[in-house]
Amino acid sequence: MSHIIKNKLIDDAALWSNLKAGDEKSFSVLFEKYYSDLISYGNSLSPYSEKVQDCVQDVFADIWLYRNSLQEYVVVKAYLLSSVRKRIARLFERDHIFRKAASTESIEFLFDFSIENDLVEDELTAERVLYLNKLLNELPARQKEALYLRYHQGLNVEQIAEMLDVNYQSANNLLYRGLLSLRKDWKGSIPLILLLSTSVL
Amino acid sequence: MQKRNNYTEIEDFLADESFQKWILLKIDEEGWEEWTLENRQRAKLVEDARLLLLGMKVSKNQLSKAELSDALSATWKKIAEREANFQKSVLSFKRGISRNWLFGAAAALLICFFSVWFYQKDSFSTDAIVSYKELIEENNEGLVEQTNNTEKSQIITLSDGSSVLLQPNSKLSYPKIFTGNERKVYLSGEGFFEISKNPKKPFFVYANEIVTRVVGTSFRIKAYPNQQDVEVLVRTGKVRVMPNDLLKEIKNEEVVLLPNQALRFTRKELTFNKILNITEDPILTSSTRNIEQLSFEFTDIPVDQILKTIEQAYQVEIDFPKEKLQECRLTTSLSDQPLPEKLKIICKSIGNETNYEMNGNQIVITSLGCN
Repeated sequence: MSHIIKNKLIDDAALWSNLKAGDEKSFSVLFEKYYSDLISYGNSLSPYSEKVQDCVQDVFADIWLYRNSLQEYVVVKAYLLSSVRKRIARLFERDHIFRKAASTESIEFLFDFSIENDLVEDELTAERVLYLNKLLNELPARQKEALYLRYHQGLNVEQIAEMLDVNYQSANNLLYRGLLSLRKDWKGSIPLILLLSTSVL
Repeated sequence: MQKRNNYTEIEDFLADESFQKWILLKIDEEGWEEWTLENRQRAKLVEDARLLLLGMKVSKNQLSKAELSDALSATWKKIAEREANFQKSVLSFKRGISRNWLFGAAAALLICFFSVWFYQKDSFSTDAIVSYKELIEENNEGLVEQTNNTEKSQIITLSDGSSVLLQPNSKLSYPKIFTGNERKVYLSGEGFFEISKNPKKPFFVYANEIVTRVVGTSFRIKAYPNQQDVEVLVRTGKVRVMPNDLLKEIKNEEVVLLPNQALRFTRKELTFNKILNITEDPILTSSTRNIEQLSFEFTDIPVDQILKTIEQAYQVEIDFPKEKLQECRLTTSLSDQPLPEKLKIICKSIGNETNYEMNGNQIVITSLGCN
């Protein structure tokens, strides 16, 4: 698995540098590879899916138009996610001209995690997963977004910090606190079930 | 591969792609099942991580091939449009300089270009515009935009104590707090600026094609995207006006304006015209606002009259204890002061217990009477 991940990175780097050199094919490959993901992420930041599509397409258009001034070494996925976030934030500012405090912080992660129902085999698991899911969705939006970026988009803490415009420690705290409060509530309320399931395993 | 032997937290598992694969896709490439059963403590962690993953589902909304290719061609279309737009305006502009008859067309295009540019600050691809884009982006942190869609002027107070009287159909972008060695704001439309003095931090107004630089004065800028001219009119102090970097290749002049002088930038011809006597310019005199006509030199004038003058000038409403201030008269010079400064001086002159509070266009003065 780890070598596959590595390959993926090499792929992206090669595509990126080809793109910078003006290779349309590499541009298209990157587009097709990440477009769906970016749309999903965009939709979790804004309820207007048409505007999200516009934003994501504009991000790619910018990349092509300004390809000469792009940085040589970037983690493509992190760069794309971050560009989409910035663009949506800017759109949001423009549309909410009377909001005094419009900034990248003012856009909110609206997304709710769901449940892998197909993988839940028994009722005990179902109950616990449902409870966990509820706790997860009750977390503050920024903590949720950090978790999403870490575990679903595979970004590392540094990249998340950059995206959310906070320092490394704060990003770490967002992730850590999210899981910590989760664990506290979780363990506090159903220690018995936990014990049971452990012995079952 | 055996880094997992050191996993002590749920986080370690969640971040492991191969673990995710095992739980979610049931593809066990690295013998997770066996490894888990080796150790009871481990099994508990794995189970916790598994439950969390199951409750943290994000539906993969994979678009169809057709949708993807539609989106891709839409993007190429966008790129082509933006490239064409840009090249057209630059090319015809260059030709326009050498051939007079093309000049009009070129200028017209440039105007389109600029007005679009002002609204979509980041949509074009030229070096000059990239630098502007960078400028905005650099400033983007905490940049606040206020738009006046009402029929009355609105007063905006900036973090340095400067005030801007924003006219209808105008908007101003400014940072919540000025940091660094420069104060920069962006105007579309018309505003009357009263800038608090700070020679160490010059104040810049970016408005369409021109940049106005001051250290502390009052002046008016009129720069509507849909009008032919951009005007700067100075009331007090000294103001420097220069073309935006975008026009630098064309000319790089700086015009210095003194009180009651003005400058008109004709967008069609891209020229600066300095107007030495503003009273002889019918356009400028006809658009003079209250605030520029009213005098703020008061000699032994009742406070309520002074406040009335301020109400008229700034289109604000001032609430104050009329009876307590009935007998109060002031002699003071408030020209060349931003609104907050004017209010501060008035309150201070009346007496110690006098204070003001400002909330948008509403001002409340509290006082126990004058000394």
